[in-house]
Amino acid sequence: MLQGVVDLVDIEQLDKAIAEIEADLTTRLTDASGVDAVRTLETGVLGKKGTLGSLISSIKDYPPEQRNQVGRTINEAKVRVKNLFQRRIKELESAATSAEAASAAAFDPTLPGTRGPMGSVHPVTAVQWEIERAFERLGFTVEAGPEMEEEYNNFDALNIPATHPARDMQDTFWLKNGKVLRTHTSPVQYRTMRKFGAPLRAIVPGRCFRYETIDASHENTFHQVEGLLIDRDISIPNLIAMARMLLEEVMKREIELRVRPGFFPFVEPGIEIDMNCQICGGAGCATCGQSGWIEILPAGMVHPNVLRAGGIDPNEFTGFAFGLGLTRLAMMKYGIRDIRVLNSGDLRALVSPARLGGPIIAPRKKCCSQTS
Amino acid sequence: MLISLNWIRDYVDLPDDLDPSDLAERFTRTTAEVEEVHPIRVAARGLIVARVVSLADLPDARGLRLVSLDVGGGKTVEAVTAAPALHEGCSVVYAPPGSSVAAYGEIGTATVAGRTSTGMILPGDAMGIAMAASEAIFVSDAMEPGEQLCPEDFEDWVIEVDNKSMTHRPDLWGHYGIAREIAAIVGRPLKPYPVANLEELVSDGLGQVEIAIADANACPRYSALLFEGVPTEPAPLWMQLRLGHVGMRPITGLVDLTNYIMADLGQPMHAFDAEKVSRIEVDWAQDGERFTTLDGAERVLTREELMIKSAGHSVALAGVMGGLETEVSEGTTTLLLESANFSPVTIRKAAIRLGLRTDASARFEKSLDPAHTVLAIERFVELARPMYPDMRITSRLSDGFPKPLEPITVKLDPKHIARTIGRDVPTEEMERLLHPLGFEVVEAGEGVDVSVPSFRATGDVSIEDDVIEEIARYIGYNVIPPTMPRVSIRRFEPNALHELEQRTLEYFTTAHPFHEIQGYLWYDANWLSQMGIDPGPCVELANPAAEGLHLMRRSLVPGLLASVAKNRFHFPVLDIIELGSVFERGDPEDWEFRHVGLISARRGKRVEQELYADLKGAIEGWAWERFSRTVAFVPAPPTPDRPWEHPQRTAEITIDGQAVGRMSVIDLSLRRVIDEHLTSWGIAWAELHSSGLERLDRPAEPIDGIWEYPRIEMDFSVIVPSAMRYQQVAESLTAFDHPLLKRVRYVGCYEGDAIERDRRSLTFRTTVGDDARTLVDEDANAFRRAFEEYLQTCGYEMRR
Ligand SMILES: [Zn+2]
Repeated sequence: MLQGVVDLVDIEQLDKAIAEIEADLTTRLTDASGVDAVRTLETGVLGKKGTLGSLISSIKDYPPEQRNQVGRTINEAKVRVKNLFQRRIKELESAATSAEAASAAAFDPTLPGTRGPMGSVHPVTAVQWEIERAFERLGFTVEAGPEMEEEYNNFDALNIPATHPARDMQDTFWLKNGKVLRTHTSPVQYRTMRKFGAPLRAIVPGRCFRYETIDASHENTFHQVEGLLIDRDISIPNLIAMARMLLEEVMKREIELRVRPGFFPFVEPGIEIDMNCQICGGAGCATCGQSGWIEILPAGMVHPNVLRAGGIDPNEFTGFAFGLGLTRLAMMKYGIRDIRVLNSGDLRALVSPARLGGPIIAPRKKCCSQTS
Repeated sequence: MLISLNWIRDYVDLPDDLDPSDLAERFTRTTAEVEEVHPIRVAARGLIVARVVSLADLPDARGLRLVSLDVGGGKTVEAVTAAPALHEGCSVVYAPPGSSVAAYGEIGTATVAGRTSTGMILPGDAMGIAMAASEAIFVSDAMEPGEQLCPEDFEDWVIEVDNKSMTHRPDLWGHYGIAREIAAIVGRPLKPYPVANLEELVSDGLGQVEIAIADANACPRYSALLFEGVPTEPAPLWMQLRLGHVGMRPITGLVDLTNYIMADLGQPMHAFDAEKVSRIEVDWAQDGERFTTLDGAERVLTREELMIKSAGHSVALAGVMGGLETEVSEGTTTLLLESANFSPVTIRKAAIRLGLRTDASARFEKSLDPAHTVLAIERFVELARPMYPDMRITSRLSDGFPKPLEPITVKLDPKHIARTIGRDVPTEEMERLLHPLGFEVVEAGEGVDVSVPSFRATGDVSIEDDVIEEIARYIGYNVIPPTMPRVSIRRFEPNALHELEQRTLEYFTTAHPFHEIQGYLWYDANWLSQMGIDPGPCVELANPAAEGLHLMRRSLVPGLLASVAKNRFHFPVLDIIELGSVFERGDPEDWEFRHVGLISARRGKRVEQELYADLKGAIEGWAWERFSRTVAFVPAPPTPDRPWEHPQRTAEITIDGQAVGRMSVIDLSLRRVIDEHLTSWGIAWAELHSSGLERLDRPAEPIDGIWEYPRIEMDFSVIVPSAMRYQQVAESLTAFDHPLLKRVRYVGCYEGDAIERDRRSLTFRTTVGDDARTLVDEDANAFRRAFEEYLQTCGYEMRR
């Protein structure tokens, strides 16, 4: 019977041990702050080597007649403990969901993006770059030349005789060193012909200077893009097609052209290419002088004297040249009405407000104050 | 130039239903740009001639007079008028009660200044003669009072052609030349120019005016004719109206007649009092000679001015204006009519030098056809005979023509025409297009010969391409379908400077928030002197745009500073860039360089260090981006004539030891003179010399490759006195050597409460590793000890 007593004591001890395990677990579960911690705890209790799990392997140490009871006791404990775990996991999971919900409500994807301040290029530069890209795609070289130019390059090489009125002091800025501030980008025609010979495809964006009284539509400092194409079989219709491409490339829409005769000593025949006014659409406004047309592209077939001066045989090669009023085109594109702002260094007139501060909320319409 | 459509109709039978605006558009597309088309609408009804019987001032109404008018049929009426220059016996255009004009509507009887005014003397502007605003228009005494005026003469259309679009076309400076183009445009014939046959009118016994021309280049032709009897009557009303419509004020019969021929043929004429001018010498003025022109101004001449002289005495400034002394005046009984041809350059120079551009000089500047001198005289006679039957021709046509025009024949190659125009042009088509313009086309072997009419042969048309232009514009530039060119592919050397500039601008405006501006090429000397800036030796303009704008800029910084001063009202943070040319005096040649100017300005005190570091960082990034190179900033003494270089804080920017620019902050004293408000700003600037930099290559950037064994990063901070330069510390680190050391970088600096005052903590990050094995803790510890030891031997305090 002693055996039996001992056995009874053993079972009591088992109950006590289980009670202790459960009490300890309750405390630990309360402390467990996350589902992961609970799972770790679960392994520690119910796992094979866990505090409760290891009791199952001890069943065989009990006498055979007690094993049933011991097994039942342990299993009942297991069920209770499992419930404890499940309850706590549920508790934790529901807490997590509500925390997530709260943080999801605070997350506002409609807040504006944060960015550093932005820079900008001058409106004329922006248009100039577009034109350069357009012509580079067609295999043109982009050339430049000095702004302080030799009198010969600016005039004589371009078939402008010594007696031409353009050479007068009232049209040209002369330097005391005898040079001029180039009155057009055309001297680079001469330089480029000398540099590359024919065949040749070049554009020359650049600043030009004319002695002129400044007002809202006249500047003494402005930009042109010179274009020059010399090859064996070049015609006036080629020139007109190219002009259309160029203008549409910049304006990003179909435009209408009007071609009329024009006179420039360095081309023959000379033409003027007008574009339908982009401000009024051709109906007539102050910008186009009510005519509906904007004079934008003086052009022509390169004068044989100019080819000769450039070292090119006019019997073998001919070509066309044009001088695009880049400044005027930029004004058209950006709706700038007063040419003087371009050289003013006044950022209010040169930079889109979108680049000069935080995100603009109102007004909603395009922020191009000068076009209105 | 203003063109009267009535006038054109004298020479071309225009369709009755012609739309003047449509004609103007076709003219623009074919010949020269029309700026405006507008009708002259007088809507005259019932206008008559009235003769002034008497005049009385109205003492109580200044400027008004009471006029008694004979209106025919024995009737006299009284009218109040503001018209000046009325005199007894003169005949005027009168609107009686019951008549009407557009400007006033129905005319009636009114009370003006307390007097009953019956009808009105019609002022010029009501007749479309803006030049004669309130003036009466006088009509010939030959017209009877009460005679009805033809309402059609008052109506017209005026086409304004842009003068600049026809400077190369002397033939277009008169209605007949314009009519030739219009005839060709509408496809109707041009009528012959109506002239008198002088041969028939001049008897053989008459003498000639002696004409001596000293310089045939300056005066290729001088034609003259003498008359007896000077017209005292006004020109016919239709002529006055036409002159008025094309912007010329009717003056006297004689002046109107010569003006009419100038507007008709483009040939200016001048009439001398033949008593005072009996022979003609065309010769240069004396230096310092004084001469009083018709306008009453005394002018001091030079040997550059061509004069008309008579017996050694100057009587006219050739091609510009006649002399006061020999003007046709009341006592004049005989006339010498001049019709001459002068060198365009001579006339233009004189007109510019004397500041006297007249209708005549403007035309001579275009290089007129010498054939027109005689034609104009013949036209004068044709017009004057019915107007002034009392005028008698008293000489034979006198014609000094020392330099006849060489006839021009141009050979055309059909292949060249086809390649230029974009299609073949058969000879018949050429003939059809060119003939109406006065060109003659003759087949000659493979090509054709085209003879150029004299009115196009004074520089306008001389080569094949000039004639191609005539063909092309009459085929129509808007008619030939545009086609893209067929071209040969070739390689062009890259334009490295242009590329560099573009990439530089792109970098500073995208990787950094710089805004591009463009400024003038010249300094504003007034602004500079206000700033106390002496710009040093500058390239100078001979004719600056305004006083004080004669110095060509040597630096972009003054312009950038001006922009900061202008923008500081509106923006608290300014980052501005300009790319542009600067100029330096040189021997033997002056120089032009391309520069990049950068300026950063912030409102706030003690922002300078940060501002400077930001700008410096931007430049370091640029140098790496463009050239895969590091830049150095070497402290440099300021340049004396560049006060924007700070006395202590100026650096020369170098790449591989080569100076590529300068950088500094703006000293307080200069900020204060620019603008008192800028004293609480920080301003840093840099100027890079792009010219020459395009030759720097851009080597491939070194790349580490993937390391096989892990590397460790360890940070070290040292505390140094604030006065110690970073450069010194950084250089001392370069001497440290350790087998595991791969790299040392600068991380940042700290000044603040955690460390002593006047001290600064600099943090460096080391990367260590071994390419053959994984490092263990002992390796890292050993490195840490070694590096700390080294730092301590350098005298730096470690920050833990
Ligand atoms: Zn418009």
